[in-house]
Amino acid sequence: MAKTAKTSKSDSSSKKKKMKKSSKSGPKAKDMKLKAPKENPFETIWSRRKFDILGKKRKGEQRRIGEARSSAIEKRKKTLLKEYEQSAKSSMFVDKRIGENDEGLGEFDKAIMRSQRERQVKLKKNKYNLSDEDEEDFEIGASLGRDDFDEEVPFDEDDEDYGRDDKSAILGQLNSHGSQNAQAGPMEAEENRKKSKKEVMEEIIQKSKFFKAQKAKDREENDELTEQLDKDFTSLVNSKALLSLTQPDKIHALKALVNKNILVGNVKKDEVAEAPRKGPIGKEKPDTYEMLVSEMALDIRARPSNRTKTPEEIAQEEKERLELLEQERQKRMAAAADGSDEDGNASDDDSKLIKDPRTISGDDLGDDLEEAPRTKLGWIAEILRKKESELEGEDAASTGDSESEEDDGEDEGSDDGEDEESDESDEEQGKTQTIKDWEQSDDDIIDTEEEDDDEGSGDDAKKVMKIKDHKQVAIKGKEVGTSQTKKEKTTVKHQQSELPYTIEAPKTLEEFTSLIDNCSDDQVIEAIKRIRAFNAITVAAENKKKMQVFYGVLLQYFAVLANKKPLNFKLLNLIVKPLMEMSAATPYFAAICARQRLQRTRTQFCEDIKLTGKSSWPSLKTIFLLRLWSMIFPCSDFRHCVMTPAILLMCEYLMRCPIICGRDIAIASFLCSLLLSVAKQSQKFCPEAIVFLQTLLMAALDKEHRSENIQLNNLMEIKELEPLLCIRSSNVEMDSLDFLELTDLPEDSQYFQSDNYRASMLVTVLETLQGFVNVYKELISFPEIFTPISKLLCKLAGENHIPDALREKMKDVSQLIDTKSQEHHMLRQPLKMRNKKPVPIRMVNPKFEENYVKGRDYDPDRERAEKKKLRKRIKEEAKGAVRELRKDNEFLSKAKERERALLAAEKAEKYGKNLAFLQEQEHAFKSGQLGKGKGQKRRR
Amino acid sequence: MVRAYKVKGEKRKKKGENYDKEEEIEVPLEEEESTKRMKTEHTAADTEAAERVVDLLSGIPVVAADQTNKAGVIFIIERASLEIAKIGKTYQLLNSDEHSNFLKKNGRNPSDYRPDIAHQAMLSILDSRVNKAGRLKALYVRTEKGVLFEVKPHVRIPRTFKRFAGIMLQLLQKLSITAVGKREKLLRVIKNPVTQYLPIDCRKIGFSHSSEKLVDIQDYVNGVNNDTNLVFVVGAMAHGKIDKDYVEDYLSISDYPLSAAYCISMITNAMERKWKIL
Repeated sequence: MAKTAKTSKSDSSSKKKKMKKSSKSGPKAKDMKLKAPKENPFETIWSRRKFDILGKKRKGEQRRIGEARSSAIEKRKKTLLKEYEQSAKSSMFVDKRIGENDEGLGEFDKAIMRSQRERQVKLKKNKYNLSDEDEEDFEIGASLGRDDFDEEVPFDEDDEDYGRDDKSAILGQLNSHGSQNAQAGPMEAEENRKKSKKEVMEEIIQKSKFFKAQKAKDREENDELTEQLDKDFTSLVNSKALLSLTQPDKIHALKALVNKNILVGNVKKDEVAEAPRKGPIGKEKPDTYEMLVSEMALDIRARPSNRTKTPEEIAQEEKERLELLEQERQKRMAAAADGSDEDGNASDDDSKLIKDPRTISGDDLGDDLEEAPRTKLGWIAEILRKKESELEGEDAASTGDSESEEDDGEDEGSDDGEDEESDESDEEQGKTQTIKDWEQSDDDIIDTEEEDDDEGSGDDAKKVMKIKDHKQVAIKGKEVGTSQTKKEKTTVKHQQSELPYTIEAPKTLEEFTSLIDNCSDDQVIEAIKRIRAFNAITVAAENKKKMQVFYGVLLQYFAVLANKKPLNFKLLNLIVKPLMEMSAATPYFAAICARQRLQRTRTQFCEDIKLTGKSSWPSLKTIFLLRLWSMIFPCSDFRHCVMTPAILLMCEYLMRCPIICGRDIAIASFLCSLLLSVAKQSQKFCPEAIVFLQTLLMAALDKEHRSENIQLNNLMEIKELEPLLCIRSSNVEMDSLDFLELTDLPEDSQYFQSDNYRASMLVTVLETLQGFVNVYKELISFPEIFTPISKLLCKLAGENHIPDALREKMKDVSQLIDTKSQEHHMLRQPLKMRNKKPVPIRMVNPKFEENYVKGRDYDPDRERAEKKKLRKRIKEEAKGAVRELRKDNEFLSKAKERERALLAAEKAEKYGKNLAFLQEQEHAFKSGQLGKGKGQKRRR
Repeated sequence: MVRAYKVKGEKRKKKGENYDKEEEIEVPLEEEESTKRMKTEHTAADTEAAERVVDLLSGIPVVAADQTNKAGVIFIIERASLEIAKIGKTYQLLNSDEHSNFLKKNGRNPSDYRPDIAHQAMLSILDSRVNKAGRLKALYVRTEKGVLFEVKPHVRIPRTFKRFAGIMLQLLQKLSITAVGKREKLLRVIKNPVTQYLPIDCRKIGFSHSSEKLVDIQDYVNGVNNDTNLVFVVGAMAHGKIDKDYVEDYLSISDYPLSAAYCISMITNAMERKWKIL
């Protein structure tokens, strides 16, 4: 309802607008407007706004409803009513007076128009007339309605030109009449006539001449300017300003060019004067000047070099590098399980190893050069050093090579069977290398020859020894003893022997031992250093293989050294460093070596454990090797091809080996601490170590108390553990144990039975335990793992003969465990069933447009929007039409009604009149007046 | 007999809303009865199943799944200064920051035009846990000019003011805003007065610092019966107070004059505490 009303209003308003526009066109409108308001009081009612919006000016809204209605009725009266009145008539009067059908014209305007028309008619009539002075009279005459033919034809053939001119003028006039309206006509004609054909042509010629002159002038100016420019340029070239800016050779070229230019310019000037169109031809060949310019553009300017770095920056870079390394480590630690993401970086050797750990050949390691850490020594320095050493080497080599070949055989004997396999591979490589050595350098032919001889003999000896090896496994022990005594002698003898500066990498252990046999520890290290420097991987590609062989040899040497009875611990420590560096250089090969050794050790261990009598605990050599590997390889990796088996092996030792004597305890506790050091980085949980520590603590208990711990009893059975660590006497002193000393002691030494040993062993056990507690404190299952141990410690602290310091320590550790486990208990959440979070209601985004404009269709489909718009318009129009028709009908019916009422009134009046007349007559008749008095009187 | 009721299918419109009250009355009695019957049957079966489940999982508290019949809260934001004006050639939401010159020119006080208050208030209502838990029944906003519009509780009102201004501009011109990808109307202008949309058993509480009755909102809310719906009327104007024509209780909840958003957050917090919505 409301909407329709609104639309109707708007419609009527639009109608009114139209009316206003039309009325404004005439001058009368002003008068109307001035007069308008006062007639109808209803017309002064204004429509009110529905929503008052600030800043909005709506013309359509401020409308007067009453006025609109009355105006609409007026309009209908003028149109519809007229038609209606005409509808019954067969003919109609058409008013064709000038200006009479135009409503907007006033009386004065109409008069003007009429007079204009009159004048036009006159002009038309005297088109053959001359424009004379007596035109006035003539016109008057014409206006009186004289015929054209009444006039004489004026001197037609008199002057051709004149006549033609006149005619054309008249024609133009006629044309103008045809096309233009009456007012503008004469003026336009006047203008048109001015331009005859001749005039037009003249004008065109003039114009073209003018343009030509202009062009010539421009060209002249241009020439002058270029001349000026040339002069300026020559002066510039001769001055020193340009010299400072450019290179001298260019300047010469420039000068030459300028001189030429001057000459050419002079010539050209003439040419220009003669034939100015020769310019473009000169341009065709490449100009020297332009060439020079392009050259100058391509000149190399001084380039900025990299800024020298401040110490802070260097430190920052170093820090970043370290961070990167740490990041890598973390990554490997976390998710090495899926190797897929590490495949990308080729620098990560470990991932490669994981990928195919079975490939034994070290030959395919050609691309690992970047890994070498010794890149500090540049190429040049390396080469210089090599030259130096070569000069000196020639005299030194003879002594070095001919040192001692006797030891080879015995040394080989001292080698364990474990090294066989690596030896084999070494041998193969050695052979290939000998061939290469032939080709290597012409300078030291003598050396290589000698070496070759050595090798040959060495190889032979080795083969022999290998055959012997299998037979002589049993006899080995004795031989070792003898060889060692011999060796000692030789070392004493040759202590002061000089080391050669250039040392080829030894290919077998014998070679190496022969090399360093008589040397002191420092000299051995020096020798290794020299070998590494001389055969650096960065110097030559084939050195890689050599170094790999040497690495094997060195490792073997390390193992041998560790197995020696009077342990040279200092030398061992010193060898560790080059070994670590070398394994960093050839990580792949190092890993292979380590794996082979591990495998061997494991098989050995499996065999040993079957024999009940033999102690299956690892030898010192194995322990040292394990320690070495834990230093060489990253312990924190999630899975590492060396460290994982190594850890497993250690754990297996702890689990499976029975503890029989005190020495076993020492070895085991050392293994535990080794595991701790590994676990510290990786946070890996190894239950074996902890269980083992627990059993050790149990061993410190008396036999009576032990039965309570049923849980561990089965373990005890395996271990056959007696109260080995139970302290019996009250006065004990604790001192730090030296592991090496302990291992040196024989198994049945009295020291292992002493309380001193037990107490100090307990201290170390407690320390290791504390370390484990600290490492595993983050584990969720911490309380479950460590609370039994803490209970055990409490119980142990309650024992009789425990020294106070030890008791204190126990209490500390147990307290530490208790506090940590309590923390964990605090953080634990109770188990929840159906722990589902309530689901919040689903939120919905509203749809809205930025910069919304009312009435615009935001349909993305343009076509549909367009259609919608059109349909809406059709609907609107239809509604409007219906409304108009309805109003028309209403109006018409009103008009008809009025007419009918008029007619009815007329009829009634007539009827009344007639009735009155009849009544009067009847009255007269009845009263008898008819035909007598009155009638007679009237006739008279 | 006429045709079977089942054939008829579901009614096209849900009659839960107040706007089509008349239509609801027109629903024939028979149909109502039948639907009731169906409903009761349905619910009976449901409860049976639920009981079975409960028996199975004895000892485990089962959270009631439907929260529809619980009492909720209704917020009415009164006197929000959301007014559009034609500035230059475009329409804009009047804002004291941007249009102070325009407002001065038109003889208005720029400090009264603060649509950001209404924005913050709406955000704090719609972000509350009460709403997330589905306990907000409705939100009505009445502007200073008297235009009343309804905001569905599950609307995500734009968080930036510029976008909020855009959505208000469109709402006040187009009179409704639909959801993205749906025809559901999320915001729409409705007829005054607001009281016709409020449930019968509700308590209308107005807030003003000027009120004499200073209460602790938590205590007050806890004291209200659990079944009654609460209607909170909060003003979102810079100065002045709301008129108390339809408000039953006229409270002050702090010694200090509070911002609308904070006042609302106090109310919602109290309701959350009461209903134990965490």
